[in-house]
Amino acid sequence: MDSEQIDYQSLNYLSTVDHNLCCPICRSPLVDPVYTTCLHTFCSTCINKALERSQTCPVDRTPLQAEDVSPAPIMIANLVNELAVLCPNSELGCTFTCARYLVEAHLSHDCEFVYMKCRECGDKVLRRDAGRECLHQLEECTHCFQHIKKIDMEAHEKECPGLLGECMHCRLEIERSELKEHEFTCEEATISCSSSSLGCPWSGQRKELSHHQAACPFTFLRPVLQAHAERLTKLELENRTLRKRIEQLTPRINQSNTTEPLSFDEQAYQFLTEQEHMRQDMERLSATLGELEIKQGMLLMNESLRTKEELAGIRAAINGIRMQIHWLLTVRVHGTEHRHVVGGGAGTPSNSAGPSHPAEHSASRRLSDNFGQGVKL
Amino acid sequence: MSSGSLRRITKELTELNENPPSGVTACPISDSDLYKWNVTLTAPKGSLYYGGVFHLNLTLPSEYPFKPPTLNFTTKIYHPNVSNDDKGSMCLGILRAENWKPSCKILAVLEMARGLLLEPNVDDAVETNIADQYKNDRAGFEKTVKQWIKNHAKEK
Repeated sequence: MDSEQIDYQSLNYLSTVDHNLCCPICRSPLVDPVYTTCLHTFCSTCINKALERSQTCPVDRTPLQAEDVSPAPIMIANLVNELAVLCPNSELGCTFTCARYLVEAHLSHDCEFVYMKCRECGDKVLRRDAGRECLHQLEECTHCFQHIKKIDMEAHEKECPGLLGECMHCRLEIERSELKEHEFTCEEATISCSSSSLGCPWSGQRKELSHHQAACPFTFLRPVLQAHAERLTKLELENRTLRKRIEQLTPRINQSNTTEPLSFDEQAYQFLTEQEHMRQDMERLSATLGELEIKQGMLLMNESLRTKEELAGIRAAINGIRMQIHWLLTVRVHGTEHRHVVGGGAGTPSNSAGPSHPAEHSASRRLSDNFGQGVKL
Repeated sequence: MSSGSLRRITKELTELNENPPSGVTACPISDSDLYKWNVTLTAPKGSLYYGGVFHLNLTLPSEYPFKPPTLNFTTKIYHPNVSNDDKGSMCLGILRAENWKPSCKILAVLEMARGLLLEPNVDDAVETNIADQYKNDRAGFEKTVKQWIKNHAKEK
């Protein structure tokens, strides 16, 4: 017998249980009921879990400690323990029902659907089969001659390929493994005309096929139709490859279409920018030209002013020289006249002592001096 | 532990199927996961939300019934007790961990949610702006509620 504990909270009850007998936490009929100082009843496992999280009553939230919980009155325990339940193995086939407190005894002693250890080999076996010989021995299937454990034989028989099966058309009993093959030859199986691919709508039992084919127009026209079909498939194939080619080529054409206007635009743009550059260059050049003109004008003016001044200086100097020459000439003229007048007289003025040469010299010297001064001006 | 919670959820599910509450449909999203439920609420007559159909997600924790379920509106709703974000969570009363009792049933949670459609709980609001509008500018509140129902909570 399995030593597993019985999960009382997942038992199925024969009738619906009064909700007053259910735990407010798990909503199942109370298991091992306890009650609190605030007089609420719970399963003992449920209230313990609730108190782990919150030290309050799960119903009215009054503060609650583990020591405030005590076993519920015997009457309540009896009420829930005597509720009729289904055997936990009801799904396996046990139909036993009993009061809840008897479930444990039923499982440990009576229930036919409890797994036990096989007496001979120790493998798992249901109690109902435990008394007989070991079911884990291999046995030969009488139909397919496979070796299968006795315990699995029942399940095997449902799908044994060696077992007879009935053909759904001719009701003939044939081995299951051959059933599929039989379908292809069964005289009563429904089939369609061999020219169905060419469009014949006939379908009927296999044994009537030859009769139908004797009159079937599709079978008569078969060679012609087949040739047409072949041509059609060839054309379709060609069509498909051509379509593919088109699909490959269209994007390329589209590309070339889109690049041309783009290049034109680019060219125009290039030209425009070049023109703009040139315009800017020209502006810059004309500006420098104007500047140079002004500079040159200034230079020219300065230069001419200076030359003018120089010219004036020179003119003044020349005038001075002219005056000196004039004076000198007059002096000489007077001198010669005087000498001529005195005529070799010894008493020529002492200031002009000596021959006139020295005077001439000094005059010429002064002249040169004056000239130098004039030039300096 | 988990088997205990699963058993209780199964029991509650059968109860809900046997006695379905009015205006509420609730069932697990899939048979393999009983901890996630789809809930559909229709507002009771006399409610400002009447005419709207609201979809919610109910998530049961693995510690259920020792921990409370969580409730999220997947349909947008203009309500003081539902967070105005993509979660649409409703968290008040018995849904708070400190107020939850293991004896509370899913049915009670669903009925509380439907009750809040009839009368919002402004003293325990998560969206205080909406609660203030509910208290001080009822007409404006109603207008927005109707607009949102029209935009989000109409069944096609």
